[in-house]
Amino acid sequence: MPQVKLISRFFEIENSHQLSVYEQNGGYSAARRVATEHWAPEKIIDTVKASSLRGLGGAGFPTGVKWGFVPRDHEGPRYLVVNADESEPGTFKDRHVMLNAPHLLLEGAIIAALSIDAKDVYIYIRGEYWEAFRVLERAIEEAGQAGYLGQNVFGSGHTVKVHLHRGAGAYICGEETALLSSLEGFKGWPKLKPPFPALKGLFSMPTIINNVETLSYVPIVIEKGPEYFASLGIERNGGARLFGVSGHVNRPGVYELTLGSPMRELIYEHAGGIRQGRQLKAVIPGGSSCPVLTAGEADKVNLDFDSLAGIGSMLGSGGLIVMDETTDMVNVLCRICKFYSFESCGQCTPCREGTGWMTRIMERIVSGRGRSRDLDDLLEIAGMIFGNTICPLGDAAALPVTSFINKFRDEFEARVSNGSVAAASSPLNAEEL
Amino acid sequence: MSGKEKTTVKAVIDGRQCEFPQGITILEAAKSVGIEIPHYCYHPGLSIAGACRMCLVEIEKIPKLQISCYMTVGDGMVIHTDNERVRRARKAMLEFHLVNHPLDCPVCDQAGECGLQIYYMTHGNYLSRLKENKVKKTKKAVQIGQHVMLDQERCILCSRCVRFCQEISKSNELGIFQRGDREEIDVFPGTQLNNPYSANVVDICPVGALLDKDFRFKTRVWYLESAESICPRCSRGCNIEVHYNLAKPWKNEGRRLARLKPRYNSEVNDWWMCDEGRYCFKFVDEEDRIEEPLIRTESTVRKTSYKEALELAAEGLRSIAAATDKEIAVLISPRAANEELYLLKRVFSDQLPGTRLVFSSATPFEPTEDEILRKKDKNPNTKGAGLIGLSPDSADVWQLSDLKDAILAGEIGALYVCYHDIPGLPEELSAGWAGAVERIGLVIYQGTNHCATSEKAQIVLPAAAFAEREGTVTNFQGRVQIQRRAFAPLCEVLPGWEIMQSLGAALGGSYAFGSAEEVFAELAENELAFAGLSYEIIGSSGCVANGAKV
Amino acid sequence: MSVSFPEKDRKLVEEIIRHYPHKKAAIGDVLYLAQKHFGYINPEVELYVAELLGLPAAYVHQVVTFYSMYLEKPVGKYLIMVCDNVSCMLCGAGDLLAGIREKLEIGPGETTADGKFTLWSVECLGACELAPAVMINEKLHGNLTPEKLDRLLDSLE
Repeated sequence: MPQVKLISRFFEIENSHQLSVYEQNGGYSAARRVATEHWAPEKIIDTVKASSLRGLGGAGFPTGVKWGFVPRDHEGPRYLVVNADESEPGTFKDRHVMLNAPHLLLEGAIIAALSIDAKDVYIYIRGEYWEAFRVLERAIEEAGQAGYLGQNVFGSGHTVKVHLHRGAGAYICGEETALLSSLEGFKGWPKLKPPFPALKGLFSMPTIINNVETLSYVPIVIEKGPEYFASLGIERNGGARLFGVSGHVNRPGVYELTLGSPMRELIYEHAGGIRQGRQLKAVIPGGSSCPVLTAGEADKVNLDFDSLAGIGSMLGSGGLIVMDETTDMVNVLCRICKFYSFESCGQCTPCREGTGWMTRIMERIVSGRGRSRDLDDLLEIAGMIFGNTICPLGDAAALPVTSFINKFRDEFEARVSNGSVAAASSPLNAEEL
Repeated sequence: MSGKEKTTVKAVIDGRQCEFPQGITILEAAKSVGIEIPHYCYHPGLSIAGACRMCLVEIEKIPKLQISCYMTVGDGMVIHTDNERVRRARKAMLEFHLVNHPLDCPVCDQAGECGLQIYYMTHGNYLSRLKENKVKKTKKAVQIGQHVMLDQERCILCSRCVRFCQEISKSNELGIFQRGDREEIDVFPGTQLNNPYSANVVDICPVGALLDKDFRFKTRVWYLESAESICPRCSRGCNIEVHYNLAKPWKNEGRRLARLKPRYNSEVNDWWMCDEGRYCFKFVDEEDRIEEPLIRTESTVRKTSYKEALELAAEGLRSIAAATDKEIAVLISPRAANEELYLLKRVFSDQLPGTRLVFSSATPFEPTEDEILRKKDKNPNTKGAGLIGLSPDSADVWQLSDLKDAILAGEIGALYVCYHDIPGLPEELSAGWAGAVERIGLVIYQGTNHCATSEKAQIVLPAAAFAEREGTVTNFQGRVQIQRRAFAPLCEVLPGWEIMQSLGAALGGSYAFGSAEEVFAELAENELAFAGLSYEIIGSSGCVANGAKV
Repeated sequence: MSVSFPEKDRKLVEEIIRHYPHKKAAIGDVLYLAQKHFGYINPEVELYVAELLGLPAAYVHQVVTFYSMYLEKPVGKYLIMVCDNVSCMLCGAGDLLAGIREKLEIGPGETTADGKFTLWSVECLGACELAPAVMINEKLHGNLTPEKLDRLLDSLE
């Protein structure tokens, strides 16, 4: 099946980041229409709801439904926040959108802002994305000069101002409430919920936080109609999305496919199959927080929210990491554990202590000093973290541990049994007491 | 339509059908019906952190466990605080708290009152399965302020101390630096934790991460006993506990009083006390405590009994009272409890009418005051004295300057000094007093510790310190509160009210009070401001005088 | 206060503050400005930023120590950030680090004796399709091999 070219057509147009080129290719017509025809917020929201567009940052929440949570009768500002903190291992699609189609993002932000009556939009971009930052900065300037941003956008009388805010190196700031804490001028500490951001978010005002890619589909939904978008995909899953493929494939990159496409199509057709003719061993389907799939599972599953949830994993950020037969699953899990313990914000005990603990056990296993009970301990620790933390980072740290060990148990068993000589000689082994 | 606002919610907690005020958290609701949910980071006087996750409970129809310190009780909720699932989670949270915690119990002051130890026994795993090295932190046993020691490894990062400095002392010295399990509580580099309320963080730290420098290594807490009292350091009258050690008298250089801790009172001090008050107790066990009555002549000083000293005092006072050109003056201090002040007034008016009563609330202490707790009147009972008619505004009561003038004019033949040491007062008050006291023929000093004035007195009467006697004091708001006796006075030292009673007897009167409480009962009958009050009514949280409900 | 911004940077601070309804929110960009101007952020700089924004010093220190990109200590002229997260690890990040160890004789967290290069191993840079990926100061380099990285380092003055 061919790719669709909704967002990704801009990846192939030269200088697509420039306003003039963007407009030549149909850009800003959706936002202009919404603004100058004074679409009511309800109309915008219903249109997006009908498209079944879902959050593409990882959580997959229906976008139109989320916009509808902002209270109509609130006195005071509302905010739209663009989550451009893309830091989930295996994920790089937003970077491509911002480099190649910054105006598409801005156009989507304008429409979203109009739907929730937000006059200020903050784009929170990860600090490491210097190039994307500069491209966006330039695009915002262009759009402002053209009268598409600022006061009186498109001459409609509406105000939409866009502010760029740089992160400073913290994965946790991709979590929406941590992003808000960071944007407000503090550490990226997630907030206790309820209240939810739609009611009480940035600076305690009603706030919608959307991913870059999600917003980038909005002009397309408006332009081509929600029915078209919905029909591309499968029910309740939205039309299309960007998939990133990396790891042991011949053609790593970004591919835009319709929701429901088979995973094997993405890996073998678009990404060129496994390097050096090797066999597939495992796939992480949507960023490191998603339970890993065996080759057998990857072979049969379709790329949509419901199908992946159905086999106990997630579509997540759509960032596939493909691993071939040479992959040491123990080493990979150890590296993933190290990531979460490094990035844990530290606010709540199970994540702060648990991620570090799991990492130290994994490092011990990797260095050959594992004990047979380590695997069950790891599974139990992951279970103790899951569901008990302030934010989903704890869950994200637990799921890889559970899925890797359960699905590749033999490999892990082999690794710890090689180290059991050292373990048996240590005193006060609890099992012996 | 009645239009009645719904202000309560109905919920089931652990099988019990209950009704709670709307907006109450599950933890507080459970507490109100006698269910204690374990927690570290939650403190009723601070904002909610939701960080420790010890208070997780199960709420039916909600898939994930919820923190009860933050979640409000919803109408119709069915809550389980102690089922299998909750107990497993609690064990898990405790295990996480212990992962990087050092095994310092043998050298840690918190032992015996440690949050980890306490919950470990009731909710813990017992056997550790940890095989890894623990995370090392930068500061171990480092003094970060005049009164506070920090051990970052013991810290469970509950953030109570940080929130205290933000919300209560509003001094913002502390922060949680770094990220993840490398987090450390600390002060800003190069600064100290030295706000006037710094030691409260020691109280609220559930573990031995923040410890009292003064109390460090003095006594194990299980040797301590506790008595309810009121801080004697200023007119706020913070409710306190006196923690004392009689069990192991060879510890702490034989000092009985080990430390003071604040006691919760929503009307006076909430959960806090200031550092000045907290550390004001050293004098109680100081070397210079007066242990026996003394009689001083030109050439000698000899120990004696109260009987002999008071008979001598009575004799001297009677002869001055008889003389026409000299007067007796009594220098009263609002350090004295209500009972002592009342008996002083009664005895002198009964037995030696015409005695000049002099009132001074001067102290050698800095008149520090703020909007949190500290009052610049560094006496515990100025208001109480005033309500008994012994304030500077009272009719016939002299001020310190009046006394000075009278002494310098040669009019004072005998001076009975209660607790004051004038040479020790600030310059502006002690100026002009040089050589004054020496002019007086009979100086009787009644107090707890030796001082310049006691060194000049002909008769020295030791008095019990606040922790050694029962008595009431009245704070600046008119709240009458009880200082309970923690331990017996040194040697045979008497409480102030009993000295007054004995003086009265020596002067020929008959006073038969058996306890401070009995004195207070008469005080309440005779002094309008205290009408209707009794020790029973005052209880542990005190009662406002003059208009208080009976 | 012995450290302060020159006039033009102080004007920039005002400009930054205008983007937010509360001054506090400007701290992120003000710290970047301070880092650019002073090279790194030590307690003295934190005190200055605290004063500029009306914040407690401990508050500023919390922010600085939380985020990876605020430097508490000076780094070399070129900060080499090698990603060794999953995709880059699968595609040879280890070889890049080994190559740097051989060529520059430093490991992660270390700086060359002449102060020219500091090496960090970092988390996912969002460039997995270019694995193994490296950032040097503000520039991203992808599809590297030890040889290509070698040549790249040689080209830096």
